[in-house]
Amino acid sequence: MVVVVATIKSVSFYTQKDGQQLIYTPFREDTETVGQRALNSMLNAFIMIGVILVMTLVLVVLYKYRCYKVIQAWLFFSNLLLLFFFSLIYLGEVFKTYNVAMDYFTLAVIIWNFGVVGMICIHWKGPLRLQQAYLIMISALMALVFIKYLPEWTAWLILAAISVYDLLAVLCPKGPLRILVETAQERNETIFPALIYSCNVNIPHGVSLSPVVAMAPTAQPEDDGGFTPAWVNQQQHQLGPMQSSEDSRREIQELPSARPPPVEDDEERGVKLGLGDFIFYSMLVGKASATASGDWNTTIACFVAILIGLCLTLLLLAIFKKALPALPISITFGLVFYFATDNLVRPFMDQLAVHQFYI
Amino acid sequence: MNLERIPNEEKLSLSRRYYLGGFAFLPFLWLVNVLWFFREAFLKPTYTEQPQIKSYVKKSALGLIVWVAVLTTWITIFQHFRAQWGEVGDYLSFTIPLGTA
Repeated sequence: MVVVVATIKSVSFYTQKDGQQLIYTPFREDTETVGQRALNSMLNAFIMIGVILVMTLVLVVLYKYRCYKVIQAWLFFSNLLLLFFFSLIYLGEVFKTYNVAMDYFTLAVIIWNFGVVGMICIHWKGPLRLQQAYLIMISALMALVFIKYLPEWTAWLILAAISVYDLLAVLCPKGPLRILVETAQERNETIFPALIYSCNVNIPHGVSLSPVVAMAPTAQPEDDGGFTPAWVNQQQHQLGPMQSSEDSRREIQELPSARPPPVEDDEERGVKLGLGDFIFYSMLVGKASATASGDWNTTIACFVAILIGLCLTLLLLAIFKKALPALPISITFGLVFYFATDNLVRPFMDQLAVHQFYI
Repeated sequence: MNLERIPNEEKLSLSRRYYLGGFAFLPFLWLVNVLWFFREAFLKPTYTEQPQIKSYVKKSALGLIVWVAVLTTWITIFQHFRAQWGEVGDYLSFTIPLGTA
C-alpha cells in the first residue's frame, strides 16, 4: 500500500485522465446528469463483477477437472506480462517524472533481471522474502493500473460490490471459492503459490499441538484443522490493442499444523492471504490519495481502517477456523472512513485552522 | 521456501542452478545466490556439500562484481556523454530529460 501511495503522489501519469478506459467498463462517466452517471457506473460495476464471476467459475471448473497445466500456463503468462510489460511502463514513467535519462541497454538489463528472477521466485523456488516482495510489487502494479483506468464512481462501486461478492462466494455453500478450497482440501493439495501470499511463521517443534487438534473433530489424518476457502478474484485487463489475461486470486487460509508426529511438521504454517486482497486494499488507498480533497488525512485514515479491518478478519479467522473472505470488513471500514473523512473531517479541520483553534 | 527444511543435496543443486542461470545476463540471480546461500556456505558447521556450495557462492560473487563494474562504467559514460553524442545519444535513450528554460 505504501508503494502505491508513493507512486500516486509522485508520478502524475497515473492520475491523468486521458480518456482511455478498460474495455470492461464501456460506459463513460462524463455524462450530463447525475442520474445518468450513477446508472453508467452501476452498469460498469456489474460488468466487472460479471467478468470476475465468469473467470472464477472457469478456474474452478479447470481445477475440478484437473487441468492443472492450463491453469499453470495461464498464471505463468499473466505473471510474465505483469512483470515485464507493466513494470516497463512503470519504470518509464518514474524516470520521466524525475527527469532522468536512461538508455535502452541498461533498461533492458534491469527489466530482464527483474522479470526473470521474479518468475523464478514465484513459480519455482526462491527465498521467501523475495517471493513476498515480488508478490507485493505485482499487486501494487495491478492496483495502479486499476486506479488509472477505472473512472471514479465505478471504482468505488466495484470495491463495494467486490466485498459483497467475496462474502457470498466464500461463505455460501455453492460459492465458487468455497468449492475450490474444499476440492483442494479433499485432494490434500496446496493452492498454487503464484496466487497466494504466505506469511510463514516458524514455530519450533516443541510447541504443543493438542489444542488445535481438539478443535477439528473432522480433521483428516494429515491435514489441518482449520481450513479456509478461497476467494477467487480474477480480472481481465485490456490496454488498448493489447490482449492480456490477468488473473489474481485471493484466499485466506490458515494452516495450523494439526499433526502430532513431528515428522509432519514440515507443513507450512502461517496465514495465507490471497493476492486479490492486496490489490483491492492498495486500490482503495491509492484512490483515496489520488482523489481526496483531504489529502493526507484521508489517506492515513483509509490506511488505518484497512489495517484494523485486516486485524479483525484475522481474529475472526482464529475464532472460526474456517475460510473467510478478507475483503468485506476492511473494505467496508475503508470506504466508510474515506467518505466520512473526506466530507466531514476535512472541512472541520479547515475551519479549526482558520480560526486558530487547537484542540 | 525455507532453506532449513530441504536436504543438503537439494541445496547444492539449487545453488548450482542459480549459478548457471546467472550466465544468461542475470547478475541479479547471482546476487540472490550470494545472499541466500551466504549463511549456508560460510557460517554453518561443515557438511559434505558445503565446499561446493561455497565455490558456487564465490563464483557468483565474482561474476556479480564484474557485472557491476561493467554496468557502472557504461552508465557513467552514457550519462556524461549523452548530450554530446547528438543523434546516437537520442537513439540510445529510453527517456530523455527535459531541459530547463
